[in-house]
Amino acid sequence: MQPEKFYYDNKIVRNFGIATIVWGIIGMTVGLLVAIQLYKPGANLGNQYTTFGRIRPLHTNAVIFAFVGNAIFMGVYYSLQRLLKARMFSDVLSKIHFWGWQLIIVSAVITLPLGFTTSHEYAELEWPIDIAITLIWVVFGVNMFGTIFKRRERHLYVAIWFYIATFVTIAVLHIVNSFELPISGLKSYYLFAGVQDALVQWWYGHNAVAFFLTTPYLGMMYYFLPKMANRPVYSYKLSILHFWALIFIYIWAGPHHLLYTTLPSWAQSLGVVFSIMLIAPSWGGMINGLLTLRGAWDKVRDDVVLKFMVVGLTAYGMATFEGPMLSLKQVNAIGHFTDWIVAHVHVGALGWNGFLTFAVLYWLIPRIYKTNLYSKKMAAFHFWIGTLGILFYAIPMYWAGFTQGLMLKEFTAEGMLKYPSFLETTMRILPMHVMRSVGGGLYLVGVIVMAYNLAKTMLQGSLVSNEAAEALPLEPVYVKQNTDIWHKVIERKPIRLMVLSLLVILIGTFIELMPTMTISSNVPTIASVKPYTPLELQGRDIYIREGCVNCHSQTVRPFRSETERYGDYSKAGEFVYDHPFLWGSKRTGPDLHREGGKYGNAWHYNHLMDPRLMSPGSIMPNYDWLISQELDTTTTAAKIDAMRKLGVPYAAGYAQKANGDLDKQAQGIAENLSKDHIKVKPNKEIVAIIAYLQRLGTDIKANKTANNNQ
Amino acid sequence: MLICLVVLAVQPAFAADDSLVPNDVKNYIGYGAIMLVLLLVLLAMVVLLRAFKALTKVLMTREEYAAMEAEQKAAKVKKPKAEVINKLLSLKPLSEEKSILIEHDFDGIQELDNPTPAWFMGLFYITIVFAVAYILGYHVLGIGQLQDQEYVTEMKIAAKEKEAYLAKAANRVDESTVTVSTDPAVLASGQAVFKASCMPCHGDKGQGVVGPNLTDDYWLHGGKIADVFKTIKYGVTAKGMPTWEKQLSPKQIADVASFIKSLHGTNPPGAKEPQGDKETDDATSSAAKTAMVVSK
Repeated sequence: MQPEKFYYDNKIVRNFGIATIVWGIIGMTVGLLVAIQLYKPGANLGNQYTTFGRIRPLHTNAVIFAFVGNAIFMGVYYSLQRLLKARMFSDVLSKIHFWGWQLIIVSAVITLPLGFTTSHEYAELEWPIDIAITLIWVVFGVNMFGTIFKRRERHLYVAIWFYIATFVTIAVLHIVNSFELPISGLKSYYLFAGVQDALVQWWYGHNAVAFFLTTPYLGMMYYFLPKMANRPVYSYKLSILHFWALIFIYIWAGPHHLLYTTLPSWAQSLGVVFSIMLIAPSWGGMINGLLTLRGAWDKVRDDVVLKFMVVGLTAYGMATFEGPMLSLKQVNAIGHFTDWIVAHVHVGALGWNGFLTFAVLYWLIPRIYKTNLYSKKMAAFHFWIGTLGILFYAIPMYWAGFTQGLMLKEFTAEGMLKYPSFLETTMRILPMHVMRSVGGGLYLVGVIVMAYNLAKTMLQGSLVSNEAAEALPLEPVYVKQNTDIWHKVIERKPIRLMVLSLLVILIGTFIELMPTMTISSNVPTIASVKPYTPLELQGRDIYIREGCVNCHSQTVRPFRSETERYGDYSKAGEFVYDHPFLWGSKRTGPDLHREGGKYGNAWHYNHLMDPRLMSPGSIMPNYDWLISQELDTTTTAAKIDAMRKLGVPYAAGYAQKANGDLDKQAQGIAENLSKDHIKVKPNKEIVAIIAYLQRLGTDIKANKTANNNQ
Repeated sequence: MLICLVVLAVQPAFAADDSLVPNDVKNYIGYGAIMLVLLLVLLAMVVLLRAFKALTKVLMTREEYAAMEAEQKAAKVKKPKAEVINKLLSLKPLSEEKSILIEHDFDGIQELDNPTPAWFMGLFYITIVFAVAYILGYHVLGIGQLQDQEYVTEMKIAAKEKEAYLAKAANRVDESTVTVSTDPAVLASGQAVFKASCMPCHGDKGQGVVGPNLTDDYWLHGGKIADVFKTIKYGVTAKGMPTWEKQLSPKQIADVASFIKSLHGTNPPGAKEPQGDKETDDATSSAAKTAMVVSK
């Protein structure tokens, strides 16, 4: 048989590489900006479009989907072609994939600061963009499987198993977590409410980490590390074991984000135990990587690329050990909602994803440009400043997390909270926040140096757009070989591999999601809980638009330290009309689930105008635009109708009458404010959000008699 | 993480002593100092290493130095310890690697047919056993408490502890026993509470901002010490006065109530106009007053 000649497409790899660098710098700069806002609220540049609640999602989306996303495609397009000995299936699809993905990112950069958000973390983009993501993801899938089908290599290498699992699982996660009912061009409500919505979101959120930040990177590690170190992969058996164990177990772990909430306890426990069982499969990847370097450690000393890989793998190992520990109830009780979690994810993001990406870029760009790296010294500088940046980021954040977590739980001998004012605990950790932003700044400087170094490298070489290669075509008749079952049955059959991965991840999905969705006893209802009034509903949408959920949780956990601080702990039945749920995942400020009635309307008005008036030293930004902006009531009818469709019991035909009720309630609040010498027209946004805040968590109190001498 | 834990352990000691320097300033200094020391240690190590290298070069003749370097290199090659570690980690010596190399390669990448390390499998099995035991313990055998029971237990223990403490504590105050105090220590403590909790709404001098003026003769919910105590303790949530029962101890509420009484007649600048009913210290019973306010 004659070897066939063909060409690898390097241009698409280069394009994704440049996108990785550009979006990386943008995403991290936004990250630095939000970090600074956490001790200097004035750093929001004085306008709503660059305020924390709106651009924190921009930061997370940019680094996850733009920086890491483009890096994944760069790595996959480079390694897939070479592992299969074939050019990508279609250059047109590659181009559509590239430009489509960049357009999606641009649309995120535009819509998120404008306040178009679903509020689901890492899935904030609104429904039209969700559809675009689905389409582009399918383009990616077709291009990948097309290439697999025309391959010149019978057996699929371990990297490709990870790519396939990534493709199917992300598709399932994204689609299920995008069940939204559109109300207008850029606004929708989630199909599920309350506890159910929370479960879907964190099943998604956790597995976005698993199948977007982990499995594709493991695949890339399996290709690039042996190439970089010129060593054989340590253990094929370990690859098989940890691949299948990882994808099977990961999908179950989502509920550990919802410990001590109103999620049924059996689901919480499943989240805990599967997180613990995840340690070994996660470490399998790290061990296989680090042991691949056996006999090549002398190279690590000289080669900055390998240094990045080693630190990246170590960060992965630390994060995947810490994650399961944080899933234990006793640890979670202290760590959850604090900066500890922020430290944890950044060890993973900066160490594992960031450093692996840098290693691949430093290794791959000179190769496709047929030249050497412009400056090894600069790359070494990048490595050290990046490592220092991670330390300066993570250590203060751990410290801040422990400090605040413990302070919030401390009681005096008299049985009072030692720090009844949440703000006091916030002030204590501000120095750590300053240090964290220094760490982030150092890391960003490293990335900018890398960008310069790689740009210079590109300029001194010339891109080999189509790299010549040759390989024997696949033999048309299958020749039986003496290999084991994995080889024969699975790893040569891409479709079978895909279907099997799909089945493996669907097991956990169904067992966890289905009972909560269908069995009513999992969400006990409460008779006194009523749907929101039209004004409250509008106020809630402003709360969503401003991204309040990024700093304020709405779920009081059953701890003495929380019921003393906030009020009665949350019950599942209280959230049944919450499309979407707004429990949040971080308490930069206090929980708001029992906020209703705690303070007067005037307090809220002044506090939103300038939080420091009511809480000196507060780091919450001013929301003065809520006072000047008028509430858009043209959407009320559509919103009530949508809620009715989703099962919220508004009376038939109420949509048309809703604005009448809305005006009445707004008038009442405006009159109440005027008693405190606050002149505000009832049609301003601030009235709606005050109405919502005053309603929060009050329905359940309707049963009890007030003991106040009003 | 270890460093953080150590520092955490130290922190209460920091907070405990009272001195002129505020705690947060102390913390700033502490954090800065720790960071500085860490960086200095790092710097010192680098400098020392360089210095030693330079010194050896200076002190030795060229031949000696070359011989030393060669010796060091030779020492690096021999690693007798490695075998023990290899055994523990179930690693095959590198020299035997060829025998386990899988023939096939992918774009030049080969794979070894190493077994999964025994310690790794052990870890995996232990976590699986833990998982089964956890589910059995919490959901079948009922050994562990689930969150609702856990909460009940926590509150029971806390109530017992509180009771025991209050039984011993002398200054157990409530609205029926509270009295006006003019003791400077009490007023100072009251003022501190006032600054931290009341100032945003009632102004720094009690002149009234969102909340009413506390320095005039007019009271919305009664001006007797018992009424003031009650208003602070339970709040008047409908009018925006929060409940302070959970945030301030009875002693603190009594102190701040006395402090508020001490503000009477101070006539601060920018005082808010009177609200409620005129009341002098020897007015009629406070309960009747409150009833009047409600009826209005």
